[in-house]
Amino acid sequence: MKTYSAQAQERFSAFFMLFPTFFVIISFYFYPALYNLELSFTDMEFTQLRTGGDWVGFENYIEFFTSNDSFNVAFNTVFWLTAVSVTLRLFLGLLFALLLNSKMLSSLKLSTLSRLFLLVPWATPPVVSVIAWRWMLEPIGGPVNEFLLYTGIISEAISFTADLATVWPTIVTIMVWNTTPLVAVSLLASLQTIPDDQIEAASLDGATRWQQFRFVTLPYLMPTLSVLCLMSIIWTFNNFIYVWLTTLAGPGTYTNVMATEVYMKAFVDLRLGYSSAVGVSMAIILAAFGALYFRVVGLSRMQDKVG
Amino acid sequence: MVDHPAKKPPSRPIEGGLIVLAFALFALFMVAPAYYVFKGSFQSLSISIASGSAGWTLKNYFYIFSEGYHIYVINSFLVCLTATALACAISLFAAYALSRFRFRGRGLVFGAIMGGQLFPWIILINPIFILFARNGLVNSHLSMIFIYTAVITPFSVYLLVGYLTTIPKSLDEAAIMDGASRFKIVTQIIMPLIMPGLVATATYGFLQAWSEYLLALTLLSDESKKTLPLGLYQYFGEDTVNWGALMAGSAIATLPTLLLFLPLQKKLVSGLTQGAVK
Repeated sequence: MKTYSAQAQERFSAFFMLFPTFFVIISFYFYPALYNLELSFTDMEFTQLRTGGDWVGFENYIEFFTSNDSFNVAFNTVFWLTAVSVTLRLFLGLLFALLLNSKMLSSLKLSTLSRLFLLVPWATPPVVSVIAWRWMLEPIGGPVNEFLLYTGIISEAISFTADLATVWPTIVTIMVWNTTPLVAVSLLASLQTIPDDQIEAASLDGATRWQQFRFVTLPYLMPTLSVLCLMSIIWTFNNFIYVWLTTLAGPGTYTNVMATEVYMKAFVDLRLGYSSAVGVSMAIILAAFGALYFRVVGLSRMQDKVG
Repeated sequence: MVDHPAKKPPSRPIEGGLIVLAFALFALFMVAPAYYVFKGSFQSLSISIASGSAGWTLKNYFYIFSEGYHIYVINSFLVCLTATALACAISLFAAYALSRFRFRGRGLVFGAIMGGQLFPWIILINPIFILFARNGLVNSHLSMIFIYTAVITPFSVYLLVGYLTTIPKSLDEAAIMDGASRFKIVTQIIMPLIMPGLVATATYGFLQAWSEYLLALTLLSDESKKTLPLGLYQYFGEDTVNWGALMAGSAIATLPTLLLFLPLQKKLVSGLTQGAVK
């Protein structure tokens, strides 16, 4: 092997070490994504699995952007699925982190216990989270309805997943329950990096508790918060499982979101071409958030990290 | 029972009360759903509704196993463990190359891997289903293993790159002086050193695969091939819901993740937030 220069050997090793990962990324991410783009310009249906569909240009996109249902789907995705749930998740996550970091809790020796409690939803798979909450909210025998009936707050059991007024809050609750611990734990980790003397100095200067939070604590948390926010948006926007398992996008199509629309158009209505066009539209919106994410996390910072 | 009066927090009864109340609400919100599922899995539901309380029973567990629940458990373990092992192996080498070699386009490669982590799998279900169906790869555990390897890999590379930066490069250089090849360095020097990080990465990957639903739903329709999340959800029948079976199945599906999470939570957190907290 002496015939190769040291540099060539290094290049050789780098190539072989990266090759398997690269192969996986290209064959399972890039190639299917490009194929999906091609599909979105065809009218392919399930019966044409082998033959493929005909080229229809932008027809699928025009149909998606002009249909009446699409407005509902887009609104559900942007408002309920993403905006409401991400806001609540960050807000509650911050609240939990502050609570778990409070001196009172550690003086009562509750810190370890509360960290354990935080692990429970985090370790619960989404399917199980949906099952647990559907049972909690079940009209007959479900603990929430039992409690509300027993205390006399309501006189008739509420069917949370069937009632239009409660179905979205139910889905959001399940998502928030399952995903807040990650936010809380990450924020707690950054809270613990704040030097105590900073807070003390602020309180000596006569800062109120709110001012301490606003001008000392919050700036410290900002980098973590912004990364968590963007990551949550990206992961939530294309989330399929919570809506699908809780309501199957129903009642009717009331809670339909873009991800469930992609699935239903392909595997219920059997219109693979149209479904792909919905998917591509989603990907374009996500790419914008992805670009923002790379900006905030900073490709440069990643480069620092790799060396 | 305060032993250290100096450490006693300033006495603010209202604030203290609020914190205790907040803690109670927090604890209730976090634990109640899991508690009711666990409790319900050991009860016979029809009796408990009628009488308000019921004795403990293993009826629900016997029922789901008589219905073949263990097949889903075995399938899930088989697919997820194999995919995790594969993903860790290829990610370790990729992460090593990214952290130790400099070459043109390295930033781009790392960016592409990071992009994979944010990639919306929902838009890949059509092409993957079509390509797999054409080649007779649906309803196959081998396909699921490859797909889950692809799902796990980007984040594993990201985590491992983080752990690798904590290992000084002088170690590699010394080994090269002694004539060790790069592959030998990874397997014999680096791997033992980042074992804790590798275990955390593997755990995270396993959990990702263990709870995956969408791709399994798309690619597995054969009853004997289904993974746990798919099998579990079937107890929501068309008209009737078998709550006892759902709860027992849920308890079994959550046990491995809970056992894995407990010892590893601290490591996971530091790995997850390393990009954000500096």
